[in-house]
Amino acid sequence: MTQAALKLSDLTVEFDTVDGVVHAVDGVSYEVYPGEVLAVVGESGSGKSVTYLAVMGLLPKPAGRVTKGEVWFEGENLVGLTDKEMEHIRGNRMAMVFQDPMTSLNPVFTVGYQLAEALQTHNPDMSDEAAKDRAVYLLSAVGVPEPETRFDQYPHEYSGGMRQRAMIAMAMANEPALLIADEPTTALDVTIQAQVIEVMKTAQRETNAATILITHDLGLVAELADRVVVMYGGKVVETGTIDEIFHSPRHPYTLGLMMSLPRLTVNLTRLRPIPGQPPSLINRPPGCAFHPRCGMSAGREICRQEVPTLASTNGGGHHSACHFFTEVARELEMQAADLGIQAEGGVLDDVG
Amino acid sequence: MLIFFGMSLVTDPISQIRLVPDVSQQTIQNIVDRKHLDDPVIVQYGFWLKDVFTNQFGTTMLGDKPIWPDLSRAMWQTAQLVLVAEFIAVAIAIVLGVLAAKKQYSFFDYATTTISFFGFSVPIFWFALILQWLTVSLFLATGFRLAYTFGLSSPDPANWFIDRLQHMILPVTALAYVSIAQYSRYMRSSMLDVLHSDYVRTAKAKGLSDRTVTMKHALRNALIPLVTVVALNVGALLGGVVITETIFAWPGMGKLFITALARAELYTLMAWMLVAGVIIIVFNLLADILYAALDPRIRYE
Repeated sequence: MTQAALKLSDLTVEFDTVDGVVHAVDGVSYEVYPGEVLAVVGESGSGKSVTYLAVMGLLPKPAGRVTKGEVWFEGENLVGLTDKEMEHIRGNRMAMVFQDPMTSLNPVFTVGYQLAEALQTHNPDMSDEAAKDRAVYLLSAVGVPEPETRFDQYPHEYSGGMRQRAMIAMAMANEPALLIADEPTTALDVTIQAQVIEVMKTAQRETNAATILITHDLGLVAELADRVVVMYGGKVVETGTIDEIFHSPRHPYTLGLMMSLPRLTVNLTRLRPIPGQPPSLINRPPGCAFHPRCGMSAGREICRQEVPTLASTNGGGHHSACHFFTEVARELEMQAADLGIQAEGGVLDDVG
Repeated sequence: MLIFFGMSLVTDPISQIRLVPDVSQQTIQNIVDRKHLDDPVIVQYGFWLKDVFTNQFGTTMLGDKPIWPDLSRAMWQTAQLVLVAEFIAVAIAIVLGVLAAKKQYSFFDYATTTISFFGFSVPIFWFALILQWLTVSLFLATGFRLAYTFGLSSPDPANWFIDRLQHMILPVTALAYVSIAQYSRYMRSSMLDVLHSDYVRTAKAKGLSDRTVTMKHALRNALIPLVTVVALNVGALLGGVVITETIFAWPGMGKLFITALARAELYTLMAWMLVAGVIIIVFNLLADILYAALDPRIRYE
């Protein structure tokens, strides 16, 4: 296998708050390879965004800190690098697209200026004309019409979708090896989302960067991702290819996610949410963080006492952190039957 | 106009002179005739308005002295004081505010907070008196003359500029301190807002240095609210200057106001109010222009 573009190893991030220490990310390990799109999914507070703020060195200071673990990127452990050293990597080898394009561009500078700035920061020798040419090219690459005119406009003259395109252009600017998109479509309306997804695909093709897609939109995952990491309560609970995760989830939380999706083929009067609340990250439930919401944990002491570790479910790349992952297939068949969906041998036929 | 009527109703403009036995009935009658004091108030107002536009605010009630030369001189003296004080205050407040925001909850942050709360709560006349006392104590103890405690200039200064500076130090410090206290708080909180904004995170994610992020991306946005505060404060400052100038015997607008008030010089006070009103409006206009320069979102709306 090729060298991983990014390798997280036992990454642990904590926040100090007035209520106590928040264990936002707890011993997360996985890899991303060049050219692949890895989706990181999970509900709000599952630690998916914080993981990448930590990777970028953008954790809010002094409350947030990496307490353990390593982030390997291009042969270097980013944990413990100084801000000065990180500045050469950020926006250059590794770039990030943020959630809300309405507030992520500086309102008092032109979009062109902000793009050129991203270029010239990492290429000090680049002339203003060259930076402008490249910026205009980038704007046209992400589908901003009339890029020459748009270059001199301010963010408030752009629409939401256009701003997100500009953000993606900015992230692509220096052809990063790793492109991180933190819920790139959440703040946009549905028609614009589809366009931005296309632009993301273009950006990914153009740069051949390893792409991390942080989202809770499973539709977006199905559209873009090659592999999926499912996070719950600051931990990775399941990883696998998109097929494995969508058709044969082996963790009850992932299963709950799949079953909660509304389906065109099934006539439901109400949605099927996962019962209960996301866990508190200050006082986490002992044992498996999901056990209070898990139907399978009923009457099982081990779920309450022992933290499950990721284990391969198929001898290959499909991992689950459930003590009873072998039983998830049967659970899946039962729930599928309940909904009237085809599922044989623990494999869902359709995907929402 | 309201002020005019109010003043006309509560004061007898020539009461002072009536009490002086030397003044003949004829003199008093002359003043009454000259200023149309026997006419209804609304007619008096008409005459005053005419004077404003055709006769440079007219003349004073008692001495029949032209008002404008005194007023314009006082305006210039006050402008020196206030502009220098404000310029220093804004500069220092920006630096303090930015540093306090960057190092939130540090010792420096708490120190500036304490100093500004002191500035908020202490009345300016007390602070001015303390400054005078400190300066005098220093002079008595060491013989070193850091500053003069009152007046505009010495009778025969060796160096005009240094002499003026020595006279300005104390009133400027008193005025600036109060402003610094206020502006630095605004600057700190607006800078904190901006530092936590998404676009500052974007700027960091681009790999810009902390310095560039703060000084370019954050500062320009944080200055926008400060502009309003400073511009609106000009009105309050004109009020504050009345006290400060009186204490330091600075022959500016504040002193002119107090003197005119003591003598119930209706026309001088009216001229003063008019000019002050114009100044406040001009500063509001300046704020709007500066706004547009700082914030492109305003320009097109």
